[in-house]
Amino acid sequence: MLLTTLLLSIPTPADPPLPSLYALRVGRAETIAHGTIEHAVVLIEAGKIVTVGQDLEVERGIPVIELPGATLLPGLVDCYSRLGLDSDGSSGFEPQAKASVELYPDQKIWAEILELGVTTLGLYPAGSGIPGQGFVVKPHGATREEMLLRDPSYLLVHMRSDPGSKKFLRDGLEKADDYDEKEKKNVEKWDKDQEKKGAKKDDKKEEKKEEAKSFDPSPPQDKAKKERKGYVPSEPDEKAKPFVELRQDKLRALCTLSKAADYLHLLDVLREETFEFDLRVFLRDDVDFHHVMDKFGEKKLRIAMDPRITLQPNTRRERSYAMELAAAGGKPVFVPRTDSINGLKDWLRHVGEVVGAGLDRQVALRAVTLEPAQLLGLGDRLGSLEPGKDANFVLYDGDPLEVSTRILAVILEGELVHGEIDQ
Amino acid sequence: MNSLLLLGAALLGSVMPSLVAQETSGSKSSDAKTADAKKDEAKKADPEPKWFAVVGGDVHTGTGGLLRGATVLAKDGVIESVGYSTDLPEGTEVLSARGLQVYPGLVAISASLAVSQGSRFLAEDDLHMRCCVDFGKNGHLHEGPLDAELDLLLADQAGLVDAQSDLRDAYDPFSSSLLMTLAVGITSAEQSGGALKLKRGEIDGVVMRERFLSSFTWTSASSGKTQLREKFAAAARYLREKREWDVRKDKVKDLPEPSKKGIEQKILSVLDGSARAKFNANDRDDLLGIARLAQEFGFRPVIEGCVEGWIVAEELGRAGAYAIVYPRQRRDKDENLVRAGGSSIENAAILHAHGVQVAIGPASNGIDLGGITGRDLLHLTVDADFAVRGGMTDAAALAGITTVPARILGIDHRVGTLEKGKDCDVIVTDGDVLHYETLVQYTVVAGKIAYDKQKELLFAHIRPRTPGDGKTSNSSGDSAPASAESQPPQR
Repeated sequence: MLLTTLLLSIPTPADPPLPSLYALRVGRAETIAHGTIEHAVVLIEAGKIVTVGQDLEVERGIPVIELPGATLLPGLVDCYSRLGLDSDGSSGFEPQAKASVELYPDQKIWAEILELGVTTLGLYPAGSGIPGQGFVVKPHGATREEMLLRDPSYLLVHMRSDPGSKKFLRDGLEKADDYDEKEKKNVEKWDKDQEKKGAKKDDKKEEKKEEAKSFDPSPPQDKAKKERKGYVPSEPDEKAKPFVELRQDKLRALCTLSKAADYLHLLDVLREETFEFDLRVFLRDDVDFHHVMDKFGEKKLRIAMDPRITLQPNTRRERSYAMELAAAGGKPVFVPRTDSINGLKDWLRHVGEVVGAGLDRQVALRAVTLEPAQLLGLGDRLGSLEPGKDANFVLYDGDPLEVSTRILAVILEGELVHGEIDQ
Repeated sequence: MNSLLLLGAALLGSVMPSLVAQETSGSKSSDAKTADAKKDEAKKADPEPKWFAVVGGDVHTGTGGLLRGATVLAKDGVIESVGYSTDLPEGTEVLSARGLQVYPGLVAISASLAVSQGSRFLAEDDLHMRCCVDFGKNGHLHEGPLDAELDLLLADQAGLVDAQSDLRDAYDPFSSSLLMTLAVGITSAEQSGGALKLKRGEIDGVVMRERFLSSFTWTSASSGKTQLREKFAAAARYLREKREWDVRKDKVKDLPEPSKKGIEQKILSVLDGSARAKFNANDRDDLLGIARLAQEFGFRPVIEGCVEGWIVAEELGRAGAYAIVYPRQRRDKDENLVRAGGSSIENAAILHAHGVQVAIGPASNGIDLGGITGRDLLHLTVDADFAVRGGMTDAAALAGITTVPARILGIDHRVGTLEKGKDCDVIVTDGDVLHYETLVQYTVVAGKIAYDKQKELLFAHIRPRTPGDGKTSNSSGDSAPASAESQPPQR
């Protein structure tokens, strides 16, 4: 019913060729946004999802692909990878560096990645310290432009408990401070210039008013803003720019941590900063992130981690950090244990292990789709089955977290890019 | 009504201040309201103080006193009072130490803990590439050709303590070796010539002093000794000239400032007292040489090792030396020499008797689990016992792991004893701290319980504490009952 009403609002499908509009009817769909739907129907047009629902009736004339045995999942999103890139990268303080210069479309690996259900790949710059900015691609396309989804995605900051890495971040923020100060002066100067101009114009008319104004020590802020219509802010220094953009919410930061203390040191550098950041933690058997889990939860942080159960240091006590983070109010994101084709092959099996150890299934599925998409700044376009989002799907012949499950097909922006579907 | 209450307050003030406080705030006269408003203002300016008290233990203050069943009260991590019939402010966190012993937190000199290791190389991904810099015993890292460069660094960074300090920026307040250090009662430790307060779970305020001890090499070659003496002489001359210049520069125009060329900053800081010179020496002749150098230039040397110190104890005492002694260190006598030589079990006792300030350390300066009676920091108190076996008094041995190392590190105004105004670094043990059987039950750092034996996996299974014994509570509730069960091991 919903579908029919929606269909009315869709322009008549006369113009675009038939494959551009079709419906998928599957046994089960993991929508991520609204839980699991049995007997789901998804309507796709021009590479976007039009609607999703249970047992929807499809209007006559729209081709319906029937896959009653299949489970549909939004395309997987790997947000922290170096696949397909091979430079050694910079080291030290190179916040302006863009990893996207390394992107080279004509490689076999992109197809391999896509075949494993990964429709979005967040690539990060190689190097140490603050090595630069990452970018996002779809592993498909003949040119760089076709592949690129977003550039830059995040500023990568490797934070470790040592004076060196703390200094890098401090330096960057200081540069942004310098810029802000300079900009403040510029604005003041510009304001004065404008005032002069204005004063000249209506010199005679508003003489009295001007006098009244001059008594007012600080004109209201809103007014000052309005007056700055013609103002163009100066361009910050290339190394300061990423940090200025962080503060303006134009760029996000992804900070990597190796142990709990690193987080305290990160907070120690950030202090009063309010910009948003996500974390990437590396899980080994002796990690101690449980010490700061409540702090992670407090900020509702999104944290990319390996899907694995770790042991508490010096014990055989098992810990599931993804579960603890979710319980504390944070948002886990899963990244394959190893950044390789084999890692991608085992990815969902490892996620399944963590679910087996108690993590909520929906949280786990979210952690390989919507949350990584949000980490990459593409949460409004990818990661769930919702109207308006890209039609990126993986079709499985069973539960995606089950070991024996195979991928039937992969659909990227409405097009079949891997597998076979009987129409 | 109000005046009556105030009278009551004056009478009861010492007995039940909290009750009175509640009563007065309950009566809403206009006066009380303004007082409340003022209080609120004060609160905004300055957050509520955090009170913490260790109650009912036998308090060994470290200043010579033993106060049985006394209370140590701390405000915001600093000791407010030590004594009897203390009024606990409302909301005080109370740690009951009834039947237990209370000591100042121990100070580990020459420590090399894995709590503040920097990585020189930032790994791209994981830890594999991480290179941990271990600040070795005696600061070997600071020796050799690097010295000159480091001196410049030191001069540049002087005065930056805790603002952007290397030690602080590398501090790991969750490290497992930190936990083990706290478990044996160590609350302060030397790290690369500075002093760390071993706070758990936080990094603010962990550096008490940085780069205070600077290492000097007393070589056996005579040329090296002469050179060192000349350097000291040059530095002393410079200081004299500088002082004179400071006095005369206003009177005489264009008086040239004395040149600092060729003067080692390291030596200047030793001579002006902003750093302490630390030597590593064991041989009688070397010890005598260092004592003479120190007397000639008027500084108090810290001598690590000091194995043959017992032979020249008088001279070392006269030079005002500090000795860092490892009581289990052995050294054979050189049989080619007629004079006395080699190590002596009485070394620490003899040095102490001659006025040398003796700090005691373990043979290995890290934390390792290489044996049940290891020779590392886990057995600092056992090393102090070896000094006692050699004739040192208990009090002097305890001072050797508390007050003396604190003095050497220049942090004795903050730690080492339990006195008003010092940091509330307290350990609560189930017996004499020097007894081999004694275990630390609680370690308190800056007024916060940083280690509780029953809550950590390390020693919880050894003579488990009975419930109700030494439990924490809030002062508004009843204080914990005394435990009849725990009998402190007697020496």
